[in-house]
Amino acid sequence: MQNRKHQKRSYAVLQTIQWILFAGLILLCYLFETSGSYHKPLVLIPAALCIASHTGEIQAMTVGAVCGLLLDLACGKLPGCNAILLVIFCVMVSLLYRYLLKQKLLNMLFLITICVFVQGFVDYVFYYAIWNYPDVELILENVIIPCGIMTIISGIVFYFVVKKIAESCQSHRIQKLEKMNPFSDLD
Amino acid sequence: MLCLLALLTGVMVYAVFIGGYTISAVGLFKTITAPLQNLSNAISERVEYGLDLYRNAENYYQENRELRQEINKIHTQLADYEETKAELERLEAFIGIKEKHSDYSMTAPFDVIGYVANDIYLSFMIDGGSEDGISLYDTVVSDLGLVGVITELSEHVSTVTTILSPELSVAACTSSSREKGVLTGSVALASEGLCKLEYLEKDTDLKKEKIILTTGENGLFPGGYVIGYVKDVAMDDKGLTAYASIEPASDLKNLSMVVVITDFNGKAEHIDAES
Repeated sequence: MQNRKHQKRSYAVLQTIQWILFAGLILLCYLFETSGSYHKPLVLIPAALCIASHTGEIQAMTVGAVCGLLLDLACGKLPGCNAILLVIFCVMVSLLYRYLLKQKLLNMLFLITICVFVQGFVDYVFYYAIWNYPDVELILENVIIPCGIMTIISGIVFYFVVKKIAESCQSHRIQKLEKMNPFSDLD
Repeated sequence: MLCLLALLTGVMVYAVFIGGYTISAVGLFKTITAPLQNLSNAISERVEYGLDLYRNAENYYQENRELRQEINKIHTQLADYEETKAELERLEAFIGIKEKHSDYSMTAPFDVIGYVANDIYLSFMIDGGSEDGISLYDTVVSDLGLVGVITELSEHVSTVTTILSPELSVAACTSSSREKGVLTGSVALASEGLCKLEYLEKDTDLKKEKIILTTGENGLFPGGYVIGYVKDVAMDDKGLTAYASIEPASDLKNLSMVVVITDFNGKAEHIDAES
């Protein structure tokens, strides 16, 4: 009984560490987004999707909402616009990874590409094209497409960083549980 | 021995009598031994130095540490001084605005917190809000020229839309000929950090480097404030009017401090998003 309690406590501690690291990563991404006046990748998108691929649907939904709102703040968009999009994508990614996909870089890059495409399309249509300003397609050419490509490329870094964090906590947890009770069901 | 003593006494007496001059034999000896003396002196100095180091190493170490700390302190003070000096210069420039335009009610300078991510119009946030007396659509300026207007307001943070945005239209004129036009942003020019002065006469005499000022006609912006300089003049697509590319006087990409003009002579009573 005591052993079980101990197991639960160690699991909770590892989960806390993992979420502190994820929160730190999200905060770093936000700071990166808000610094400087140059064009940069929307790193909160790959960060959110990569984290969602390692968590359950509820957590993925929360991560999507937080990252989306931060992205709205950083990009000066209507609060909630990117949040809605990222909530949907994060839950979708979480479910896909739970039932269909394996943790492979290509899978994640494919999902990030879809999300970036949808986000870029929404951004272009509702923030620029709708106003019919002359030469509006230049925004697509000079800002949205290059930033989208940079975002997809930055996904490689986030894939490995998030995987490392998640696996470290997970493997650590399994090792600990195995040591304590080699016959217990770890799942 | 007596002979030797007598000789030495004789030499001594002779030396006394020649009064201050060296005996030639002694002089010769000194000359010959001078380099050796130098060498021995150098060695002795070196040894003394070594011994001194050995004896006072701890004292020197302490002294060195203290001096280093002193130098660091002086460097820090120097950096602070430079920073304060630069800030003072910036603030002096803002005071200059008030001296030039006595009708302006201005806030204290606000720091630029950060730029809106990936915005080609270079919108940015400042660390002042409604608590600091700022209202929506107040004019934002730097010490060099017009920057934009407040388009989003919270208690302590505001978002500024710059003159590069097509959402803004400013009634403007040239400083010399008073030729009027409407300054607005354009997608094509914004990426180069320029804006557009539209609706100029076809045969405009506008030339490069001419200064463009606000007219203050619509009550949104104060009149007579510098916007920027003419970079280029061209005809519009339909060939009915001319337009000029304007380079803003403020470096919109690297702003660090701005002030907000909360009131001025001729300010419109109610400004809404449409106007």
